[in-house]
Amino acid sequence: MLHRRQFLKFSAFAAASLAAPGFLRSAFAAGGEITLAAPLPMSGAFASNGKYGSIGTSMAINDAGSILGRKLSYLELDTEGSSATAVRKVQDAMQQRHATLFAGGILSSTALAMSQEINKRDGVLFTTAGADTITGSKCNKATFRWSVPTYGAINETVRPLIDKMPNAKRWYTITPKYVFGEDLLSAAKDVFKEKGIQHVGNSYHSLDTQEFSGYITNALSVRPDVLLLLNFGSQSTACLRQAVNFGVKNRMTIVVAWASGLEQFKALGPDVVENVYFGAQYWHAIDSPFNKQLVAEVKKEKGINPDYALASAYMITKLLIDGARKAGSIDGPAVAKSLEGMEYDGLTGKETIRAADHQVIKNYYLLKGKAKANMKDADDYVEIVNYGQSFRSAKQEQCVMG
Amino acid sequence: MIYLSQIVNGIGLGMLYFLLAVGLSIIFGLLHFVNFAHGAFYLLGAYLCYALLQHGIDFWWAITLAGLIVAAFAALVEAGLLRRIYRLDHMYHIVATIGLALMIQEFVIIVWGPVGASVSTPPALVGVVMLGNFIYPEYRIFVVGFTAVLALVLWWLLEGTRLGAIVRAGSESSDSISLLGYDIKRINTAVFALGAGLAALAGGLATPIRGLDPFMGVEALAIAFVVVVIGGMGSFTGALIAGLLVGIVQSLMATIWPEGASLAVYIAMVVVVLVMPRGLLGRA
Amino acid sequence: MNKPLFHFALAVLVAIALPVLVPSKTLCSEVLIFAIAVAGCNLLLGYTGLLSFGQGIFFGLGSYTLGLTLLHSSLPLVVALALASIVGGLVAVVIGGLAIRRQGVYFVMLTLALAQLFYFLAYSLSGITGGDNGLLGIPRPGVGPFDLNGALAFYVFTAIVFLLIFAALQRVVVSTFGRTLLAIRDNGERAQAIGFPVRLFKIVAFAISGAVTGLAGGLHAALIGIAPLSSIDYHLSESVLIMTVIGGTGNLFGSVLGAGFYVIVSSVLSAIWPRWMLLLGALLIALTLFMQKGLWGLIEAAVSRIRDGGPRRSRSAIRPARGEKP
Repeated sequence: MLHRRQFLKFSAFAAASLAAPGFLRSAFAAGGEITLAAPLPMSGAFASNGKYGSIGTSMAINDAGSILGRKLSYLELDTEGSSATAVRKVQDAMQQRHATLFAGGILSSTALAMSQEINKRDGVLFTTAGADTITGSKCNKATFRWSVPTYGAINETVRPLIDKMPNAKRWYTITPKYVFGEDLLSAAKDVFKEKGIQHVGNSYHSLDTQEFSGYITNALSVRPDVLLLLNFGSQSTACLRQAVNFGVKNRMTIVVAWASGLEQFKALGPDVVENVYFGAQYWHAIDSPFNKQLVAEVKKEKGINPDYALASAYMITKLLIDGARKAGSIDGPAVAKSLEGMEYDGLTGKETIRAADHQVIKNYYLLKGKAKANMKDADDYVEIVNYGQSFRSAKQEQCVMG
Repeated sequence: MIYLSQIVNGIGLGMLYFLLAVGLSIIFGLLHFVNFAHGAFYLLGAYLCYALLQHGIDFWWAITLAGLIVAAFAALVEAGLLRRIYRLDHMYHIVATIGLALMIQEFVIIVWGPVGASVSTPPALVGVVMLGNFIYPEYRIFVVGFTAVLALVLWWLLEGTRLGAIVRAGSESSDSISLLGYDIKRINTAVFALGAGLAALAGGLATPIRGLDPFMGVEALAIAFVVVVIGGMGSFTGALIAGLLVGIVQSLMATIWPEGASLAVYIAMVVVVLVMPRGLLGRA
Repeated sequence: MNKPLFHFALAVLVAIALPVLVPSKTLCSEVLIFAIAVAGCNLLLGYTGLLSFGQGIFFGLGSYTLGLTLLHSSLPLVVALALASIVGGLVAVVIGGLAIRRQGVYFVMLTLALAQLFYFLAYSLSGITGGDNGLLGIPRPGVGPFDLNGALAFYVFTAIVFLLIFAALQRVVVSTFGRTLLAIRDNGERAQAIGFPVRLFKIVAFAISGAVTGLAGGLHAALIGIAPLSSIDYHLSESVLIMTVIGGTGNLFGSVLGAGFYVIVSSVLSAIWPRWMLLLGALLIALTLFMQKGLWGLIEAAVSRIRDGGPRRSRSAIRPARGEKP
C-alpha cells in the first residue's frame, strides 16, 4: 500500500502535471487488472496505421474481457513512429504497470528496438512489422511475428504471375535502398533465375523519395513486360500513381509485391488500382470462418471493413490472450512457451506458430484490381487470384535463438 | 535518350518547385521573414482542392478556389499575428511559423484523417504524349505550360507594375515606402497572401501527381528552402533557375546515382551558400 | 534572483524533486538529458546569438559514438561518454567554422542544410550506423562498483552528470569569455572593432555546445539502449530549439525548465490526445506574442511582482531585431 499512499500524497501535483490516465488507473486498480500494451504510431507520419491498429487491439481486448480471473485493460503507447520513444514507453509500461504482454510495433525500426528491450525484461511481443530480421538474425525468445517474410511475399506474387503470363519474359524492378528492399529484390532475383526470366533492370531509390518520374522513365526506356514495385506504404502509393500517370499500365503489367491493402487502395482510388496486381498479408474478403466473424463484428461495431492494420492487430492481440490463458500466467517466458507451436484457426485459415523462430506460418495473397464498374461495394477494390504459403526454414532465415 | 527524357522530366518537376518556392522567396524579399509555415500552406491548398472536388466542383475551379481561400486565410494570419512580430528577432519568426505549421498540419489530420487520399487527373488531361521513345503524361505537360504562363504573369506583376516597384523598393527599405505615402501594412499583407496562395496552388496542382497525405507540407518546405537558398532569397529569376536546376539534378541523379539524389541536393546547397553567399541571384 | 549559486541550487532541487514527483524514472532521465542538450543550444542561441539547426548533428553523433564504442569494445561507460563528447565537440568546430561564414538567416539555412546532409549520410552509411534501424542492443555497463541497470540508478548517474555540466556551463557563462560572447551577441561589429577575435570566439562556443550536446546524445543512447536514426534528424534539432525558446534564452536554468516542460507535457499529452501537437503549435505562437523570455521570464516577472507588492507594469521584454530588418 506504500505505493498508493505515496501517490495520494502527490496526487494534487500529479493531477495538474502528470495526469496521464494510465498512471491514475494503475494506482487505484490495486493490482486487479492485467495490462495489455499496444505500442503503435498514433501520431507522426504513420498515424494512419496506429489509428486502425488501436481499434483492432481494443476490440480483441473487449471481446476477451478477462483472463485468469482478472480484468484485461488496454494500454495504448504512442510510439510517435520513433524507436527512442517506443523503448522509453515500453520501459515505463513494464516498470510501472507491470505490463508483460505487448501487441504492436508496425514499423520495423521500432519493433526491432522494442523486441530487444522486451526480451531483456521478460515480456512477450507479438508484432506485424516487415523486417525479416525480427524472426531472422535478430530473433529472440520473447518476439513473435504474424506477417509473412519477404521471401514468402515474393514467392506468392512473382511465381504465380510468371506461371500465369508465360509470355511476359522481361521484368523491371524499382527498389528502396535499404534492408527491406534488398531482401525483396534478392528473393525476386532468385525466382527470376529459376524461371528463366530476364531481369532487364532495377532502380534504387532512397527512403525519403516521393517523386518517381525519373525511375519510371528509366523503366520505360528498356520496354519491360512487367514492372515490379518493391517499395511499400506511401512510397509505393506515390510510385504506382505516377507510373499510371505515365501510361505504364497500358504498356505492361504492374505488380506491387508488398501492398498494405484496403487503406492503400482507398488512397489510390479505383482508377489506379484497376488491373494492377498486389501482394498482401490480408484482405477482408478472405474466405475463412474466423475472418468472416471478425468482418461481421467490425462492420457491426464500427461500420467499416477491417484493413490490414486493424485485422492484424486484432489477431496478434487475441494470440497473446490465448497464449496467456493456455500458460495460466502472464509471465513473458511462460506465455512465449505456450505460443510456440500453437495451431489455430486464424484470419487466413489454419495458421501455425513455428517454434524455431516464432514466425507465424500463414497465407500470403495475390490480389488483382477490379474495374470500377465491377466493384460490388465501395471497398471491393480487388479479387483474390492466388494464395499460398512459402517459407524458408528458420535456419535459412538465420535465426539462432539464444 | 534516357538523359534527354530525364531532363524533360526535371523541367516538369522544376516548374512545380519554382511555383512552390517563389512565394517563399518574395515573402522573404519584402518582409525579410523566414516562413516555416510555407509548406503548411501548400498542404492546406492540396487538401482544400481535394475537399472541393469531393463536393463535385470541377478541378479547375477547385485549384483556383483553394488558392484564393488559402490566400485569404494567410492575409488574416498576417494581419492578426505576423504583423506584430516582424520587428522581433528572426528566432521568433521561426518559432511562430513552426507553431503555425504544426497547427495547420494537425488541423488537417483532425478534419481529413491521418490516411492519405488521391485526386484523379482531370478527364481532359488523362493520357500520355508519345514522340518516338519519349513518353510524357499530358497532365504534367499542362503543369509546365500553366506554371510558365503564371511565371510570366508574376514577372510582369513584379517588374512591370507599380505594385512590383513598391515591393522591390520595400525590400530595400520599408521606411522609404512609408515616406512615399503608401500603406506598407496593406502591401505586406497582400504580398504574404500572394506567396501563400501560390504555395496552395502548387499543392492543388501536385495532387493528381503525388496524391495527398498530412505530411506533404514538411517535404515541400524542405524543397522550397533548398530552391530559395540556391536561387537567392528574394529573387524571382533565382527561384526559377534554381527550381529547374534542382528538378533536373534530381531527375538525372535518379538514373546516375539513385541513392544519392537527396544527398546531392543538400551538398549543392551547402556549396552554393558557401561560395555564393546570396545564392545565384540573391538581392543584397 | 540571478546569482549563479542560486541557479545551481535550483538545478539541484530539480534533480532531487523530479524522481519524487514523476513516476517514470526513464522519463526523469530523459528530462535531464535534454536539459543538457538544451543548455548547449542555449549557449549558442542565448549567449552568442547563433540560431543553429545543427544541434541534432552533435546529438546524433554522440549517440552513435557511444553505441559503437560500447558495442565493439569493453571500454567503461564514462570513457564512452567522453568519446561521444569529444566527437560532438570536434564536429562542431567544423560545422561552426563553415556556418559562421554566413550571418543571419543564411546562417540558419546553412545549419539546416548541414543537418540534412548529416542525416542522409547517417542514413546511407548503414554499415556503421545501422541505417533506418539504428544501432541496437547497446549494453549499459556499470560505473566502478555501481550497477546502472536499474532505472533509478541510471537516473542518479544522469543527475550527477547533469549537475556537473550545469556547473561547468555556469562557469563558462560568467567568465570573461562568456561575457564577450554576450557582447558579440548584442553587437558583433562593435566587438570586432574593439579587437575581439569574434570568429574564434564563435567557434569555441560551437565546440563547447557540440561537446555538451554530444554528451547528451551519448547519455540518451545509454538510456534507451539504441542509437536510432531519429537522434540525428531534423526533428531533434527542432525540438531542442523549441525547448530552448520555451525555457527562455540567455538563462541556463531556463533550459532546464524548457526541457522539463516539453518532455513531461508532451509525454502526458500524447497519452491523452494523439493530436497534442496542435496545442504545442498554439503555445509556440503564444510564446512569441506574449512571453518572449520563455518560462524563466514568466517566473522572473511573477517574482518581481510579488516582491514589489502588487501589480506593476512589466518592462518591455521585446528585444530589437538584429541583422536584416531595420
